[in-house]
Amino acid sequence: MSVLRPNASVMGLPYTAPGNAPRGFTLGEHVDPEDPLEVGNSSNPHGKPRAIGPMGRRFQPYKNNGGTVVAVSGKDYSVIASDTRLGSGYSVPSRNVSRIIKLTDKCVLASSGMQSDIAVLHKVLRIRLTQYQYAHHQEMSLTAISQMLSTMLYYRRFQPYYTFNVLGGIDAEGHGWSYSYDAIGSHEKVRAVCSGTGQNLLQPILDNQVEFRQTAPEKKPEELSLEPCVELVKDAFTSAGERDIYTGDIVELAKVTAKGVEIEKFELRSD
Amino acid sequence: MFLTRSEYDRGVNTFSPEGRLFQVEYAIEAIKLGSTAVGIQTADGVVIAVEKRLSSPLLVPTSVEKIMQIDSHIGCAMSGLTADARTLIDHARVQTLHHRFVYDEPMTPRACTQALCDLALRFGEDGKDEDAMSRPFGVALLVAGVDHTGPNLYHTDPSGTYVKWKAKAIGAGSEGAQTALQESYSSNMSMQEAETLALRTLKQVMEEKLDGTNVEIAAIRKEKGEFRIYSQEELKECITRL
Repeated sequence: MSVLRPNASVMGLPYTAPGNAPRGFTLGEHVDPEDPLEVGNSSNPHGKPRAIGPMGRRFQPYKNNGGTVVAVSGKDYSVIASDTRLGSGYSVPSRNVSRIIKLTDKCVLASSGMQSDIAVLHKVLRIRLTQYQYAHHQEMSLTAISQMLSTMLYYRRFQPYYTFNVLGGIDAEGHGWSYSYDAIGSHEKVRAVCSGTGQNLLQPILDNQVEFRQTAPEKKPEELSLEPCVELVKDAFTSAGERDIYTGDIVELAKVTAKGVEIEKFELRSD
Repeated sequence: MFLTRSEYDRGVNTFSPEGRLFQVEYAIEAIKLGSTAVGIQTADGVVIAVEKRLSSPLLVPTSVEKIMQIDSHIGCAMSGLTADARTLIDHARVQTLHHRFVYDEPMTPRACTQALCDLALRFGEDGKDEDAMSRPFGVALLVAGVDHTGPNLYHTDPSGTYVKWKAKAIGAGSEGAQTALQESYSSNMSMQEAETLALRTLKQVMEEKLDGTNVEIAAIRKEKGEFRIYSQEELKECITRL
């Protein structure tokens, strides 16, 4: 009779005693020392692959393809942007892969993480949006999409889509909002957020310039309007492109207003 | 095997040569045996009212439930085999809750009615479907609710068809009641007028004398958006206006 033991594998691979013996696949343990983007490499600073027998190679289902995604929202608009560089280790397999998807006329999603998971997630979302439209004879609202995305991600709790999403759009009242998600659907409704490999570079800029955190009280300016916001996002991406090797080539930027979604592109450095 | 015409009465999913499904038609007949229920939609909300047949003075009237809430913004009245309605309403309650869970918003009455009809049509299927029945449901529902477009009233029957109505009567007295509604309905009537019309219509077609115990009334108003079954006192107040 089998009982659930601590350390038991979530994937149903056989459990063996701890030590040097091989262990079942657990998240965050797939390590390729040659790949600086490899998922979970921070947990293995020495970069030594764990011994799993002479010919053994553990299934590594996840990979991070880099990229940065941003959503900044104001009173009546939302700006969602992503670069299009596809990274893999120290190489750039493609310079023009879109990570951004227009879900409705009022809602745009940008995802970073693993490109294949992003592609599937976007495809499934498209289907769900169409099904909703058939069933309810109306377009999904921003709030409905934000909750559905969370539910969809959590349904994959034990083998998640390796995606980090930011959602932006305008709600039923016409106000702009951004939502940020982790890979398993925990989400937050905010003004400005970013995800991906440039997150650490960009989030403090957004906090300071959009939410006016860490600013002197007398410097608190008025509400950011659409055009300055677009310029801010562009500057932020240009900066990230200088420092983050996985962000570059082209930025796709979607402006969501009551009039609909307008997408523009601009170039970043390609080296 | 010798096939008679009545053979087609047996299988619930077998068409007769004339293209009829007898079991579905018989189920619709079952509703005509049920107590009368009426629903009236106004610009401000929907009123639904039902007759309760109290076969014995020893029967406790409050235990006869013919109006039920589905979600906070949707409710329904039933006529026919009320036990069948419980299965349908259970299903609708799960669907509306699930909708809130997935989309963080209330389900529209139309989508809820569609969900009810999806189940109503799933009779006679084999397999492990827990909710589905071996025969058609012998009950008709009047579904009342509000959404972003305003108040809605839908009628469903055992064939899985649903239609939106301004005013609708179902059950034994439905023919007379529908005529009465048609004569007195106006699209700009107030909720209070709708309450009165609903009870007056029931009074016309009921065999017993209408009093505070043998009718049930509920309403949903656009501005509050909450479905509510009237208390004894509120019902009595409506009756005094007749």
